[in-house]
Amino acid sequence: MPAAPHTHFWKLALLLAGTATLFSSCGEDPEVRSYTAANHYEGPVVSWVMPEQWGENPGMSGMMAGSFHIKTSLGPRGRIGVMPFRESVETTQIVNMFARELGHPDYNESSVQPLIAHKELGDRSFEVIRLEDMSGEEDPPKTALLALYRHNAQTWLFPFIADRALIDKELENFYSFLQSTTLRAGKTPVRAIAPSLPPAQPASSGHQPTWEAPEHWERKPATQMRVGNYAVSNEAGEALDFSITSFPGEVGGILANVNRWLGQVGMSPTDEQGLSQYLSDRMIDEKPAKLVLAESDEQALYAAILLHKGRSWFLKLMGDVNLARAEKENFLRLIDSFCLGDH
Amino acid sequence: MPEKPKKSISSLSERRKRFAWLIPFANLRITLTLLSFSMILIFVATLEQVRIGIRGAQAEFFESMYGIWYYPTQFWGGEYFDSIPIPIPGGYLLGGLLILNLLAAFITRFQWTGKKMGIQFIHLGIIMLLVGQLATQAMQEESRMQINKGESKNYLERFHGVELAFIDVTDAQTERVVALPEALLEQGGLHYSEDLPFKVRVLDFGPNCEFNSLPPASKAKGPTEGVNRGVIQSANLEIRPKPEDFSSEGMNFGYVVFELLEGAESLGTWAAISHPAGNHWWAQINPKMGDLAFQPIRMNGRLWGATLRPEREYLPYSIELLGIANEFYQGTDIPFNFESEIVLNMEKNESRRALVYMNTPLRHEGKTFYQYQMNKSADYTVFQVVRNPSWLVPYIACILVSIGLLWQFSFHLVRFLNKNSGANRAAA
Repeated sequence: MPAAPHTHFWKLALLLAGTATLFSSCGEDPEVRSYTAANHYEGPVVSWVMPEQWGENPGMSGMMAGSFHIKTSLGPRGRIGVMPFRESVETTQIVNMFARELGHPDYNESSVQPLIAHKELGDRSFEVIRLEDMSGEEDPPKTALLALYRHNAQTWLFPFIADRALIDKELENFYSFLQSTTLRAGKTPVRAIAPSLPPAQPASSGHQPTWEAPEHWERKPATQMRVGNYAVSNEAGEALDFSITSFPGEVGGILANVNRWLGQVGMSPTDEQGLSQYLSDRMIDEKPAKLVLAESDEQALYAAILLHKGRSWFLKLMGDVNLARAEKENFLRLIDSFCLGDH
Repeated sequence: MPEKPKKSISSLSERRKRFAWLIPFANLRITLTLLSFSMILIFVATLEQVRIGIRGAQAEFFESMYGIWYYPTQFWGGEYFDSIPIPIPGGYLLGGLLILNLLAAFITRFQWTGKKMGIQFIHLGIIMLLVGQLATQAMQEESRMQINKGESKNYLERFHGVELAFIDVTDAQTERVVALPEALLEQGGLHYSEDLPFKVRVLDFGPNCEFNSLPPASKAKGPTEGVNRGVIQSANLEIRPKPEDFSSEGMNFGYVVFELLEGAESLGTWAAISHPAGNHWWAQINPKMGDLAFQPIRMNGRLWGATLRPEREYLPYSIELLGIANEFYQGTDIPFNFESEIVLNMEKNESRRALVYMNTPLRHEGKTFYQYQMNKSADYTVFQVVRNPSWLVPYIACILVSIGLLWQFSFHLVRFLNKNSGANRAAA
């Protein structure tokens, strides 16, 4: 006896469902995969365990490894950094970067020795240098505790900037932080990055620099880092950023700074020989200075570097290349009008 | 021997009674209709291939239950009909129905007699061909392996499909990799792994995008608007999603925006872009984008790197490239021969040398390494690596169909000759 039509329907439905299941089960369910493999990473490895009382400052990336603050009832205080250098850097050079800011005289190789203590943490030895503000303006005085670790011709600097009381209170945390770090030089060298110093204002000598900016440049409020701050734009949506900044010392030197800027405009870093294609001499405020002109297909960098009385001054214009070319004359007129006001 | 056919016929009629519901599906008209639709499908997909590329046409029409086709403007009346979406039955639907149709015919008409045996072989062969194609689509994987001269590689990269990989490189010898495949990135949402010190919330993903670096004063809009960590933020990159380019020359820059969480606390929002030729190119395009190959994330004393890259498969063996040679027909750019001399380093310190050249691939552990691309000046070679567990099925199917055809023609020829000679004898 033939089967009833509804029986046929169910058999067919089952067959189709089975076929559909077969189709759908052919693919694997996606899942998070986890495995180990030989380590082919060629960059340097810098990592740490951050103490609970510390917070991380955002906006850090690349090999400029880390920046932290201490959480206090008054809000974030102090600043701790992790700065890898491409090569072995002399202790004197690093100490002087911070010493000038704190009113110390320049140190030389022999005069810096009494400041250096050695701290053994695990199987590593750190150079530790403590510098306190000599101006007497603050109580407790602003203090820089610098820890240096050298390995495989590379140098890692850990500056801890805060008032003396906070540094004393956080000393054990700072050492346990240093001990927790993994510091391994990679096959590729750490890029030359000018160290990001603690915020620094121009020397409070009473003399303030002056300059004449084009009227159509939009003046923006000065910040802790920027003595002069401007934005330039046009109707095509192109924009430029102009800043005047000042830091004690050479801040890593011309090459490191130019390489950092070249990176910001999407250009490859250069070496001492290649630097000359971007550099030219120029007098600013009757003082010898360097002019940097670099352009990529899309971005441009025009800057002036003036080193005077132990301070570096940077006048930097950066942004879309077409607008930068249009504003080049205005930029050159501005740097020619720049006056430090100390004469 | 009259009993045997009778028994066979009787078993067939019993089977037909038992599977009576299958008889309507064994109709030859269905077969012809499905084959006609298959021809239409191939015609439409061939037309569409010009517009959306081979891979696009394959995905839209063959690897689907149905596809949507728009009447071409260039055809007669195109200006009126080009906006009408026309559904076309897809490869999965037609293939599935053809399998059903052939199976039904096989079950309801199968007779193990000399007369019908050839037909059964042909049916069986075609069913195997269809099922084999389905299995190939489901299981075949195509990847590439690029090796620089003098170096060795132990992983493959998929041609299509990316993964968001988190790599812990703190240990000098081994790296721990936790990877979210593209299917999970498309799903979005929160993902965990006990090997990760954080949770990953996928906020946005796209198979292709345009990107540009904004001046410092400008603020990015679109998918990267909320990004506050990593290269995209520091380089002030703006991403504009684009449809996937299916053409063979298509360069797809996949992107993902993701947030990392420690418990309920957000650690920040990152974004990553995958370079279709490999993330090592970023540093050469723009130094400030170099970290797209490895965006550092530091957690609990470990250095992790985040990157969006072509999906990888690690192998239990490695291939070392000893040398490459490419020859061209004299006075032309037409390749005459590409060859790579390699050493296959297997487990237990075993190794063997091999020469891989055009049409002579290396086969090892279920994978076939074809010579695919080569760059003599840059000294690297690229293998196309195919894993297809069902690669034998089409060969077996073709042999079955050949046997069936041979049997059927021979059977009828012998019968005809016998009949002819019998008639001649009778006439004589």
